[in-house]
Amino acid sequence: MQLRDKSEAGQFIVLAEMEPPKGVDVTDFTANAIRVKDQVDAFVVPEMNSAVMRMSSLGASLILQSKGLPTVMQVNCRDRNRLGLQADLLAAGAIGVQNVMAVTGEDPSFGDHHQASAVYDIDLIELLKAVRGMTQGKDMAGVDLAGAPSFYCGSTVNAGVKGKALQLEIDEMKRKIDAGAKFFITPPVFNMSDLSDFMEKAPRAEVKVLPTVLLLKSVGMARYIDRHSDHVSVGDALIKRIMSASDKGRECAQIAADTIQAAKNAGLDGVMIATLGWEHMLPQVLNLKPTEAQDVEQDDPNTSWGKHAGGK
Amino acid sequence: MIVASPKPMEEIIDTVKDCKKLLILGCNECVTVCEAGGKKEVGVLASALRMYFAKQGRQIQIDERTLERQCDHEYLEEIRDIADTYDAILSLACGVGVQFTAEKYLATVVLPGVNTCFLGATEERGLWTERCQACGACVLAKTGGICPVSRCAKRVLNGPCGGSTNGKCEISKEVDCAWQLIVDRLTALGKMDEYEQIAPLKDWSTDRAGGPRKVVKEDVQS
Repeated sequence: MQLRDKSEAGQFIVLAEMEPPKGVDVTDFTANAIRVKDQVDAFVVPEMNSAVMRMSSLGASLILQSKGLPTVMQVNCRDRNRLGLQADLLAAGAIGVQNVMAVTGEDPSFGDHHQASAVYDIDLIELLKAVRGMTQGKDMAGVDLAGAPSFYCGSTVNAGVKGKALQLEIDEMKRKIDAGAKFFITPPVFNMSDLSDFMEKAPRAEVKVLPTVLLLKSVGMARYIDRHSDHVSVGDALIKRIMSASDKGRECAQIAADTIQAAKNAGLDGVMIATLGWEHMLPQVLNLKPTEAQDVEQDDPNTSWGKHAGGK
Repeated sequence: MIVASPKPMEEIIDTVKDCKKLLILGCNECVTVCEAGGKKEVGVLASALRMYFAKQGRQIQIDERTLERQCDHEYLEEIRDIADTYDAILSLACGVGVQFTAEKYLATVVLPGVNTCFLGATEERGLWTERCQACGACVLAKTGGICPVSRCAKRVLNGPCGGSTNGKCEISKEVDCAWQLIVDRLTALGKMDEYEQIAPLKDWSTDRAGGPRKVVKEDVQS
């Protein structure tokens, strides 16, 4: 079942982020994806996350598509102008990519080529409109396409923001929806109750919201995220849980598995699992049985926003 | 200097149409030299707007003022006592002046009356052309004093792109090929050996890649 059909049918979606290699050896990249192909609805292929130079999302998506693996190709405003973006979208459509995710892209100063100039010829709203226009058979100049692509298009929403910034984020989300976004991926969420303020205000009727489930790799990483990420909280309970575990790697995978279950219990529309280069851990995350709720001090069991609530 | 050109009259009318009391604020610096926003242009625009609104049967008070600069606190302070008596200030300064005025007078709407275009020079009366894009890492020492960043359509840094014909750029026969100018100049100076050297990768972080820029000169800070 295609991602779009499954999503529109209201089924719980599991996406996995597959970081393309920095090089041409795609052995691990493809093997890691193939291992979990039956448990993942589509593979999100980032376009140079954090402005670190890697294989393009288009190229890496082509490799996965050629193995029969469905992808969500990411496109960003940072690296290409409207010509390049549309050209890549046409190529993606022609090779069978059915899903795209439009993002702004982090500033080059975050990455490993910090002297690079950024493009930002068009902004994210214009990019979303361009994707929709192409699916309707027109390019951004209004010229007819010889065959229109069919894309299920999503974007990101910073669901962790609080206070005044939250209203701005909700307004921006509405603009993205008006421009054609059908699903939204949030930054990492470790405790579903952190989404309460957002979910109360989010215009969820027409779109799907998928939190990122980030695989922690160590206590240090958990602490770092907790202290330094403005809108992401890991929480003391999870940090203690990793600290007291004899097999910390397994415990981190177990936490990810539990977070997926918590998202399902909370009635969210799905998850995107991000492993930041540890895609070989995806089978473990997906195969571990979630811890029984009463055994873990992880989340508020009353957190629930929708149709998947209570479901296992 | 910063070169600007007046915004179209229709656009200005659209932005000020709801005002009852408007201050048109000129600037005595760059926009005066490029004849877009000095005292003379303030007067011409004020007259045109008065005529337009009179024809529409609209009562609108339009006052005129021109400051020495709009990019300095000290001169902008001169309108401290009157700024908030206006529905809007239509600034004919460059984008810097418009923003600095808006930052200073938070309760008043500040509108731009010109389009800020580029850093350029007066070639002749009524003709201003681009010379600099403020990339933050000047290469003129290597290019015979001719800037490939601002004057080459593709901003290429190692000789012409291949689209140069008879010394003209492929985008228009009216535009000189910057690299032809550079080669001619280096040849005249006997410095073509410098042309043979490949320019290092350009660091665009001093341009706009690193976000808004600032210059700090600690020895003159108080």
